[in-house]
Order: sequence, then structure tokens, then C-alpha cells
Amino acid sequence: MEMLAVSIFAGLWYWICKTDIGYAITHAIRQPLFAALPIGLMMGDVKQAMIIGAAVQILYIGLVAAGSNLPADDCLAGLIAIPIAIGSGLTPALAIAIAVPVGVMGVFVDQLRKTVNVMFVHMADRYAEEGNTRKIVLASVVYPTALSFFFRFPIPFFAILYGADAVNNFMNSVPEWLIHGFSVAGGLLPALGFALTMFVIGKKELFPWFILGYFLVQFSGIPVIGAAIFGLCAVLLINYYNNRKNVEG
Amino acid sequence: MTEIQQTPDAAAENGRLITEKDIRRNWLTYYIVAEMGISYERLQALGFTTAMIPILKKLYPDPEDLKEALKRHLIFYNTEAVFGSPVNGIVIAMEEQKAKGEPITDKSITGMKTGLMGPMAGIGDSIDWATLKPIIFALAATLSASGSIIGPFVLLLLPLIQILIGLRLSVYGYRAGKASIRELLHSGRIKELILGASTLGLFMMGALSSTYVKLSTPLQFNFGGGNEPFVLQNILDGIIPGLLPLMAVLGLYWWLNKKNQNFTVIMLVIIAVSVIGAVTGIL
Repeated sequence: MEMLAVSIFAGLWYWICKTDIGYAITHAIRQPLFAALPIGLMMGDVKQAMIIGAAVQILYIGLVAAGSNLPADDCLAGLIAIPIAIGSGLTPALAIAIAVPVGVMGVFVDQLRKTVNVMFVHMADRYAEEGNTRKIVLASVVYPTALSFFFRFPIPFFAILYGADAVNNFMNSVPEWLIHGFSVAGGLLPALGFALTMFVIGKKELFPWFILGYFLVQFSGIPVIGAAIFGLCAVLLINYYNNRKNVEG
Repeated sequence: MTEIQQTPDAAAENGRLITEKDIRRNWLTYYIVAEMGISYERLQALGFTTAMIPILKKLYPDPEDLKEALKRHLIFYNTEAVFGSPVNGIVIAMEEQKAKGEPITDKSITGMKTGLMGPMAGIGDSIDWATLKPIIFALAATLSASGSIIGPFVLLLLPLIQILIGLRLSVYGYRAGKASIRELLHSGRIKELILGASTLGLFMMGALSSTYVKLSTPLQFNFGGGNEPFVLQNILDGIIPGLLPLMAVLGLYWWLNKKNQNFTVIMLVIIAVSVIGAVTGIL
């Protein structure tokens, strides 16, 4: 019963969040960390859900779309990995091992969506020719949303409902080296997100700032928020001194 | 000429048809629907057009004019929705002038959109997605790492900040017009803003990589006898702490900088390397 409720929630959540309604609003609520809260409430273990959600979230902190293509599906990864991990009592490391391959598979669903939506663009062209604004809204918003239900909802729904046992059995029989391999990948994948973000920022001449941030944390062990405070103050001060120099010069 | 609505709004005094409330509504609609009909062929074209509909209906009572306007906006469009918001304001200002009979061609509206969408997306990507998002998301994940429920709510700061910025910038675009946006793009202030955001972004990528990227090697060699085993990781830590994770980030950064990279392929390679490394006992 409990798993059925979670499956339905996950299916609906995946569908709604991945319509991208509200831009960063759905970007925020589709994160593993956010989905962990309702999943935890439904499964009666909020604390463990948050711990697992936060661990899976790390994979996707630096995920940024270069040319509107996200390299992983953060939403699907969390929606499938968190309930299965809680249900089977898996550690956060094993939850990451489930999330990694699931997140990669989700990318193909995103590509499918952008391909089928081409159909609605041509529909909208026809409606524009007729001057029918109501139908343009249907083609832009309603039809893509309705259609996506059929390729979004079933994936987490069936994966959780029927996959939990299978994953659990698999995890029990899977060789140690494969689990270890995925846990190594879990430690490495955040690197792709951060490298991608640096790529999007560009500005190779500012590269020493990356090294500065890296070794500040390596040597001092300060938390991320502390680094953010130091970084922000440094940038503001440098900006101020620059401006003053320009005014005086 | 269409009838000018007499509202106490300042916009009406200038003989303008559009109020600032219309602009904010247009941008907010665009923010909500921008990615909903996204496709490889024209990306945000459907979302942008949908948001323009109320404005265009107000400006063009003649069905033929409306058709032309709709077709004009169904062209390829893609930008970062928040820092792209001035484009909404400018487009509305141009459409308004056109509706009043000014000689503004389809080409000039399209040219303005396609000319500004790239630079504005560049600004938005570095500020919203490469700086703001990782800081907020990392903070949220840290807060919930031991089970707190605060993290999810912290995530919502991202859309909240974006909406506050977009509502202001869209109206700014309408007031300032395209000339001033071009000026702004080349002015010192915007360069300062991008430079500051990029600096903080790169610094944070360093801090986040240091905190969250994990890579170490269990390799050790026994040289027989009663000697201590030679543990490679200890040697590496002795040279400089965090060497392997740093190499991983730099290696991926170098790879991404080569032309036409497929991210899914890179991701699969990372997984393959991890599994092979685990099997062979290197990682």
C-alpha cells in the first residue's frame, strides 16, 4: 500500500516537474533533496529520506545546462533511488549507486520529449495562420504537457512498484566490485557538474580563483557556506578598489 | 488608430497602450511557460509566443495584423528566462510602436530578439545557473546532510530570487529600449557584474569540488619482509592534499573544452572508468 502511494506520487511528480512549468520553480522542487521530504513523509522515515536525498543531491549540485541540454536527469534519479533505498534499508552510498545509472537513462526521455514537441511547433504555425490564439496556447502548453504524461509517469511508477524487490535482490546478489564501482562513480560525478559549470562560465584568465577555492577548503576544511562568505566579500572588495582606482585615475 | 485606454497609470499619459503591469504579467507568463513546449527545432518559441498573446491581442485588433504578429514570434527563440527578461520589455515596446504605425519592420523585431538572446543568456547562465544555483543547492544539501527538513525550502530561494530580478528587468527593458540595452551590454557596469559573478562562480567551483568530489586509490605495495607497505594514497597526500579529485575536475574541464562534446558519453565514460578502476583495484 505504502509503496503504491509512493509510486503514484513519484509518477505524478516526475510528470509535473519535467513539464518545466515555472522554470526554476520546478527546477527546485524536482531535486532529490526536495522530493525526499514528501517521500519520507509517505514512508514514515523523514530523517533517513533527507539524509539519502542530500547524499544524492550532491551529484547534481553543479549540474548546468550547456546549450539547454542537461547531462543527467536529477529528478528521475532521486524519485527512484530514494524510495527504493528507504524501503530496502540501503545506505546513502548504495542509493547513489542506483541514482547514477537512472539519472543517465533519464536524459534519453528528455531528448524524446524535445523531439516529439517539434510536432506542436508545426501545429502552432498552422494556428497562427488562422489567427487562433486559444489553439496556440493549447499547442504550446496543454498538448505537450498531456502527451508527456505517457512517457513520464510510467517510468518511476513501475520502477518503484515492481523494481524495489528486483533492485533489492540485485543489490544482494550483485558483486562487491560493481557496487564499489558505482560508489567510485558517485564520488566522481559531481566533478563533471563542477567542470561543466566552469566551462559555462568560460573566463579562463580567472582560473586561479578555482585553485584558490579548492585549496582554501582542502587546507582549512571550512564548510561551503564559509567559503561562499569569504568569496563574496573578496569579490565585492576587489570591485570596490577597482572602481576607486578608475575614479581617481 | 486604436482607442487609447484612459487609465491613471503613467503609461497612459505618454499615449502608451501598454501598462507596466502588462509587462510584468507578460514576463511572468513567459517564466512559467518558457520551457513547456520546448523542442529541438525552435526551443522557447512556443513559450515566448504564448506569453505575447495578451499583448498582441491588445495591440492588434485587426485579425490580419494579429496573424502576422503571431507568425513573427513563432521563430526560433532561446535565452535564459531571467536575464533575458529585458528582451520581453523591448519587444513589447517595439510592437507598441509598430501598432501605432511607426515604420518598424518584422526584421528589426526579429533581429533584436536574435541579437540579444545570446548575450543575455550568457549573462544569465553565469549568474543564475553557474553561481547562484550551486551556492544555494550546496547550502541546502549541507543543511539536510544529517536529516534536517530545512534543505528543501532553501532550494526555493533560487526561483524566488529569479522572479524578483525578472519582474524588474523586464520593465527596465521596456522603459530603456534596445539602444540602452546595447549600451548597457557594452558598459562597464554589466562587465563588472559578469566579472564578479564569474569570479565568485569559479571560486565556489573550487570550494565545492574540494568538498564533494571524492577520489582516492587503495593501491599499496608490499616489498616483503617486515617493511611497512608502500601506500600510494599516503604519498599523494604528502605531496599535496586533494590531488586526485583536483586532477579529475581539471581533466573533465579540459575534455569539455574540446569541441562538440556529448555529455552523456562523458558520463558513461566516468562510470566505465570507475567500474574498471574498482575491478582492477586501482580506485
